[in-house]
Parts: sequence; C-alpha cells; structure tokens
Amino acid sequence: MRPPPARCLTASPTLHRVIVVAARGLVKTYGSGRAARRVLDGVDIEARAGELVAVVGRSASGKSTLLQLLGALDRADEGTIEVAGTRIDGRPERDLTRLRRDRIGFVFQFFHLLPELTGEENVLLPTRLRGSAPEARERGRALIDRLGLNGASARLPHELSGGEQQRLAVARALVHDPALVLADEPTGNLDAEAGAAVLALLRRAADDGRAVVLVTHDEAATATADRILHLVDGRLRP
Amino acid sequence: MRRARLAFAGVLLAAAMAGAAVTVAYGLATGFDRAARQADLPDVIVRFRPESREEIDRIVHALPNVADRSYRFEATGVGLGSDGGSSDKGSVEIVDGGRRGYAIVDGRDVDGRPNEVVVERGVANEWHLHVGDEVQVGRLGTLRIAGIAVAPDNVAFPLASAPRMYVSGTWLARESERQIPVSQALIWAANPARVDVLLQQARATSTQIQGVRFITRSGVRVLIDSAAGIVIALLVAFSLVALGAAATMLAATTAADVQRRLTAIGVQRAVGFSRARIAGEYAWRAVRAGLPAAALGVAAGSLAVRGPSGDLLEALNEEAPGWALAAPLVIALAAIVAVVAAAAAWPAWRATGRPIVGLLRGAEVTRPARTRGAREAAAARGEPAAARRRLPLGGGFAALGARLALARRGRAAATVVVLAVSGSVVLLMLGLASLVAALRDDPASVGKRYDLSARLPADRAADVRALPGVADAAPRYVVQGADSFALGEPVKLVAFPGDHTRFEDPPIDAGRRLRSDREAEIGVGLAQALGIGVGSTLAVQLPGGGEARFVVVGTVRALDDNGRVAYVRPRRLLAADPDASPQIVIRLEHGADRAAVTRRLGTLGAQATAVGGATTRNGAFLGTLAALLRAVAIVNALVCLYALVQALGLVARERRPTLALLRATGADSATVAAVLAGAALAVALPAALAAFALERFALGPLVAHLAAGYADVGPRSSLGQAALAVGGLAALSVVAAAWVTRRAVAEPPVAGLREE
Repeated sequence: MRPPPARCLTASPTLHRVIVVAARGLVKTYGSGRAARRVLDGVDIEARAGELVAVVGRSASGKSTLLQLLGALDRADEGTIEVAGTRIDGRPERDLTRLRRDRIGFVFQFFHLLPELTGEENVLLPTRLRGSAPEARERGRALIDRLGLNGASARLPHELSGGEQQRLAVARALVHDPALVLADEPTGNLDAEAGAAVLALLRRAADDGRAVVLVTHDEAATATADRILHLVDGRLRP
Repeated sequence: MRRARLAFAGVLLAAAMAGAAVTVAYGLATGFDRAARQADLPDVIVRFRPESREEIDRIVHALPNVADRSYRFEATGVGLGSDGGSSDKGSVEIVDGGRRGYAIVDGRDVDGRPNEVVVERGVANEWHLHVGDEVQVGRLGTLRIAGIAVAPDNVAFPLASAPRMYVSGTWLARESERQIPVSQALIWAANPARVDVLLQQARATSTQIQGVRFITRSGVRVLIDSAAGIVIALLVAFSLVALGAAATMLAATTAADVQRRLTAIGVQRAVGFSRARIAGEYAWRAVRAGLPAAALGVAAGSLAVRGPSGDLLEALNEEAPGWALAAPLVIALAAIVAVVAAAAAWPAWRATGRPIVGLLRGAEVTRPARTRGAREAAAARGEPAAARRRLPLGGGFAALGARLALARRGRAAATVVVLAVSGSVVLLMLGLASLVAALRDDPASVGKRYDLSARLPADRAADVRALPGVADAAPRYVVQGADSFALGEPVKLVAFPGDHTRFEDPPIDAGRRLRSDREAEIGVGLAQALGIGVGSTLAVQLPGGGEARFVVVGTVRALDDNGRVAYVRPRRLLAADPDASPQIVIRLEHGADRAAVTRRLGTLGAQATAVGGATTRNGAFLGTLAALLRAVAIVNALVCLYALVQALGLVARERRPTLALLRATGADSATVAAVLAGAALAVALPAALAAFALERFALGPLVAHLAAGYADVGPRSSLGQAALAVGGLAALSVVAAAWVTRRAVAEPPVAGLREE
C-alpha cells in the first residue's frame, strides 16, 4: 500500500470534502461460546477531512473497540474499513503498520507516554519511526511551541500534570501530520480546564484539515464536535 | 503459559546439567574404590627383576602386616594380536594360584586349562574381542579367550600404552616342565592403614633383589584422583553455575509476577494472610511446576552422560556406580527443587514485607521519583530536571531498549551476573579445550623444545649436532625411581648435561634453576606429594638399588608424569645407576626439513622419533576430552541464551503497553527488535567484559590450581577471547531479541494497550 503524498497542515476547502475514513458493516465479537459478546453489530461510519466526529455511548458499549478497528490496532470479524482511500481490512500487518505510521494519530485516555522519554522525545517518537528527518524534528518542536508545551518538553512524564501529559500526547498524534486522528476518551482523566484545552487542540486539528474521530462520554467534548453518533446495542445512530 | 514454559525450560536445563554433573562426578569420585573392591586390588604391588618364587616368598613371608600374598611373572614387549588390532608392546601376566587383584567381568578366570587367556577389558573393547574369540599371544601362539578382566592398578588400554593379558602359570609350568619365575608380588595388608610399616621393612629386606619398585593402592588412587579431581571440580562448578543462573532467572520471573499481583497480595494481607503463607503459596506453586521439570532434567542429564561417563570409567579401569547413583541423583533433585522453591518464595516474601496500603495501590513500573531533598540537591548543582533522571544514553530505539532494561536495576544486575558467570565458564571451557588440544599436539605446550629423539650413546651427541638442520643436541637420561622416604611415591629423574632449559623449559614456580650436579629442580606435583620444597633434600631410590640425593633449588610447573619429575645433572644419577642409558634429543634449526634430518640420523644408525605433546599416545582420548569441553561450552552458551530470552521476555511482558504504543504509532517488527536488542545488549555487553575479567582473574587461576598445582595449565584469556565473549553475547542478544520480538508482534497492538 503506497501512501499518498504528505499534506501540509493548512486547511483547504477542497480537502474538507474528502472522506478520510469509512467503515461499513463492522462486526466484532469478544469471547466464544456462551461467553461470546457481540460489541459491534454492523457499524457504519465515515469521517471527512476537517470534520470532528464524536462517538458517545455507555461504558463498555464498544466505543473504544470501534476506534481500535478504525485505527488498524485490531481486526474486525466482518465489515470493511477504508482509510485515506485504501481498504485496510484483510491487509497484512506490515501494511497496517505503515498506515499507522504515516496516516493515523492516536490519543489515548491514559496518555501512554513512554516513562523513560522526555516530553519532547515522546512527541518526536513517530518522526523517529520515519527516519528522524531534521524537518520532522523542526516540525515537532514548532508544534510543542504552538501548543504551549515548552515547559514540559524537557521533563519526564511523571513530572508533568495530567493535562500536560495529554497535550503532549495530542502533539505526538499530530507531529507526523496524519490524515486521521483517533482520540479515545482524551478528557477522561483530566479536570475540566485541562480537558477543555485538549478538546480545543483536537478541534484545531480538525480545522487544519484532518478527520478527527473522538470517543467520549464527556458532554463538553460533544459540544466541540461537528457530528455526534451514539453507539447503542452495537450500532451507530445519529 | 509461555512464562510457565520458559520457567520449565530453565529448570529442565539446570537440572539436566546437575544430573549430568552428579552422574560423572559421583562415578569418578567413587569409581576407583568400587573397582578396587571388586577386583580385590592388593595394598602393595612390588615389581622387580625375575626371581625364583621361593626366594621372593621367603622375603614377603617375613614382612610385618601381611594378610595375604600372591605372585606373577610379567612379560613385556610381547607381540599380541587379533583381527581387531595388534601391538608389539603387549604385557602378559602369568598368574598363579591365590588372589588375583583383578575382577572377571565376563567369562571365567584362567584355571590351568591349556591355551586359554584372560584379556583386559580395555583391550577387548578396543579390539572388539569376546569370550571364546582367539588371540595371538607371542610365542604361546593362538589362545582362546576364557574371560574379560578389569584391574584398576592402571588405566585401561589404549590409555595405557601396553595391552594386557593374563595366562595361567600352572599350564605354562606343565607345558615347559620348569618353574616359572616371578617378577611381581601382590601383597594384601592386615591393616591397610599401616602399609608404611610394611614398606619400610620391605625396602630393608629386599636390597639383594634387583629393580624393586613399589606401587601402593593409595598411590594409584592419588594418580587417578589428580586427573579426576579437575573433571569433578569443573562439573560441580559448572552445574552450580547453571543452577545459579536458573535460580536467578526464576527469581526475576517471580519478582515480575509478584509486581503484577501486588494489589492482590495487598488484599490477601489485608484480610489476614501471613507473609509466610503467601510466600509459601508461591513456593508451592513453583515446586509443583518445577518438580516434573527437575525430575525430567535430572533423569535426562544422567542418561545423556551415562554412556560417555561409563566409557570414561572404563578407560580408567573403574566401574560405573549402577543403582548406587540413585541416592545422589535424588539428593540433587531435592536440592534443585529447594532452590526453585526459594527462588520463587524470596521475591514474594520481600514484597509482602511492604506496607499493606502500598501493596493495595499496586506497582509502578517506572523508577520511583527522587525525594524532595534529592531533587533540591540536584537542582542546586544546576542540572536540568530530565537530565538528572535520564540514563546517559543517546537516541535511537536500541537506546530506548537499554533504558527499559536498566530501569529494573536489580534484575539487570542479576542478569549481568548470570551472563558474566556463564560467559566466563564458556571462555574457560574453550580455553581448556584449546589447552588440551595443544597438550596433544604441541610439545612446546609442556615446555619441550626439542623436535626429535634418537636412541644413541651419549658420546654421539657431537656427531648429531654436526648434522645439517640440527640446531642443538644433547643426551637426555630418564630414570624411574621412588622417594627413599616414601617408597610408594614414584619420582622420574630427567638429566641433561648443562642447561636443561635448552631442551626442556618448564616454567619456574619457586626458587631458581639448578646450577650444579648436587642440585635439582622438582615438579610442583612431586613437591606436593612429598611435602618438600626449595632447600629440602630429594633422596631417590633408583632401580639399580642405589640412591641419589639432591638439594632442591627450585620447583617447576611440569606436566609430565603429573609433575612427579625432577630435573638434575647426570653425574650423580650415573654414579648411583651406571646402567642408565640416554636418548639424544635434537632441536632442529628453524625451517629445517624434519624428514631430511631423520634420514641423516639414520646414517648414524639411529631411528629418530618425532616428539609430540604431553601424552601423544592418548591423542584420541585428549581429542574426545577437548570435544567434550567444547560441548560443555556450547551448553553454557545456551544457558546465556536462556538468561537473555528470560530477561527480555520479562522486559517485553512488563513493557507490553510500551511496545504496543510503539506499534500503534507505526513501529514495525524491526523497530521492536531494535528496542529489544538494545535491552539485551545493555546487559550483555557489560556481562561480556565482566566474563572476560572473571575468567582471566578468577576462574582461570582457580582452575589452574584445581587442575593440578604441578602444571601451568591455567588457560589465559586473550584479547581474541575477549572479542569472542563480546561478539558471542552480542550475537546471542540478537538471537534472543529476534525470538522475543517474534512473540511480541504476534498479538495485535491493542492487546498491549488494553493492559495499561
């Protein structure tokens, strides 16, 4: 799978019409036999460039599972997924790895910063996977500066507040300029103020031309979304 | 499940090594006594030039402390042959009535029936002979094999140079119609602890008998034990290393398991479980899992070496322990299970000692933050916060892996220790294997500097020196004697006119080189056996009945004859034993044609013999020993690999979310492998340097001491070996990283992310 040419961060009206991620009939079942639980039961979803889509639902309703399937972190039992114009269901792990590296940025509820790396090193981690080009490093530092994270860049994660850690995680998700940003309960572990800052960053990422899919049960988070989808009984409803 | 398999493999490996070590070590440690008991080995064997049986019996009968006696005639240099092999250096023992001093292991003894022979087991094995087969025995012609015998007074053929057979003296006397003389007396002491009384009297009353030499049962045992001791010590040390490695890695595994279960342990403690009960649960679980692995390993190890061990014992004319081995194997099994239980219980015991509130909060994988005071002190030094906490490593995913491995300092240190000890054993084994090969092939390895020897009178040395291609030549006298004060202790006197170091140059251990006819340098083996040193007097009883005395001026690390050798000048030797005849030893010029010199020596009427290593005739045996040592090195390298896989497996398990995060951000298998290789190299490279240092400064000298104080056998690590240690462990790191990576990337990244 050959990735399309890299885009600049600047928003483009044309790009806003492009479907970045589209999934049809997604099914995912955990367990087997009598313990089997069908958490996704024919989910259809799409997100366009410049759009922030919020997926809400009760705990354990399958929101995170949906995000993991869209981000090629796990495989669906049934259904199709297309990211940046390329079908990813059934592709070998090597292709999925390249897709995650080039096209997708993740933000997790628990930040998942590597404890041994400083804030800046965590942000630059995806650029290192691509060969650590000087311009990528420059872009990362510019992002840190733009997100107001200069004070956190030289510190280790355990020295930072939850808000700082999550902002660094958002910076890491954006540093390689992905077409799709997937955020799993990004405000779940933050206070209201820090949560608002993170949501503003995600909104801005969408405004810059990316597709952002946000899984949350935070009312404030849904307020920033362009569309809100409800995951109920394994299906998405508007 | 995977962890359980790895732990099972570790215990199995360690137990197999312990089983192998116990089997060989117990067999060697008890083999002589068992064989001596079975063969009814006499306490003293006296060899002498042929005498009438009545004369010898008159002397022996008068000795004190004699319980029983019997006599033999030994014919040497007899041509022996069969379809399976032949030798012109055969030894035929003509045995008479009374006790024999050998055990019949197949068939029956010779009993006066005509044309029968008993063959030593070593000969039977080497020449593929069985009871009922026929052999050619010198002028006696074709004889039928009545039985196979073992006599532990010497090692077996072909380790001993002469094949040995026994024929009936009764039959020969009947055939020849004359009495057969005797040349050996076998004496069983009434009180074996007071053999010295018997020996003293025997020496005093046998002055008219020519060529008397005494061999005691304890003397034979000392010689065999000095060879077996090194093997036993190495095997025991080796199995301890393996067991230590397995225990350390098991403890590390349990520690990781305990760390994961801290919350559950906290709940147990909160509801009233005692520390001992929780630790006991871990121990019991480890025993249940470890007992089958240990039992299987001990059995497999024992069975694997049973064949080679039996061959080794047979080569030494000793007996395998049979069912007597069961007890030490069971003890070894119990010890292994105890070590496994302790390795599992200790981390749990330590963890349960923490405050219960802390346990309930669970574990932090990262290092704890510094105290406020420490942070302030570091800030006062002007260090940036992150720089204070970061390990001094550069960028790159391998460096990240190193940070992951070194974050657990205790475990990293334990892994380094395990790898260093195992690596040093690998270096030691390879060094010993090289040494053994050198002993087999290279005369210089034992200090011999001459290339050829020729049987010529001493006054022909000048003629030999004049030959083209000859750098130097001198007569070399060798006389086998016995210490005058301890007749059971053999002494080999080697005499050169002038400076012997031109031809034989064993390293000086203490004192100085000899400078006069009255002085001697003695091997450290002899010094240890006789309890003498520099400044002592060496008095040697010579075969001709004379005695030569020397002042010891130096001790040397000589390997020949287990170091029971003394270098002297010929004058006093020849005065005491005028019959001693020399060989001419020849040092060739650099690049000289050995074959051409050999031909020129032929024109002088001498047949030249090429000089080999210490024990040229045992080349096959030494080759086997070198192969065995290399095999042990390979097995120990597997221990290193196991330790690395185990350590990396723990890193991968504990850092599953980290690896999953990397994969989620697009890290491919190669990147994950680089992280894990970095983690492996972070412990392997320091371990390699430590292994080199440990071998060079501790194990090597220790083994040299254990091996034989009499010889300079301590292998010395070279830079090449250091490179081997570093390169080998680096290669193993890559293999271990590849192995663990394969497993780590087999699951979808989300599985690791869910764990956080």
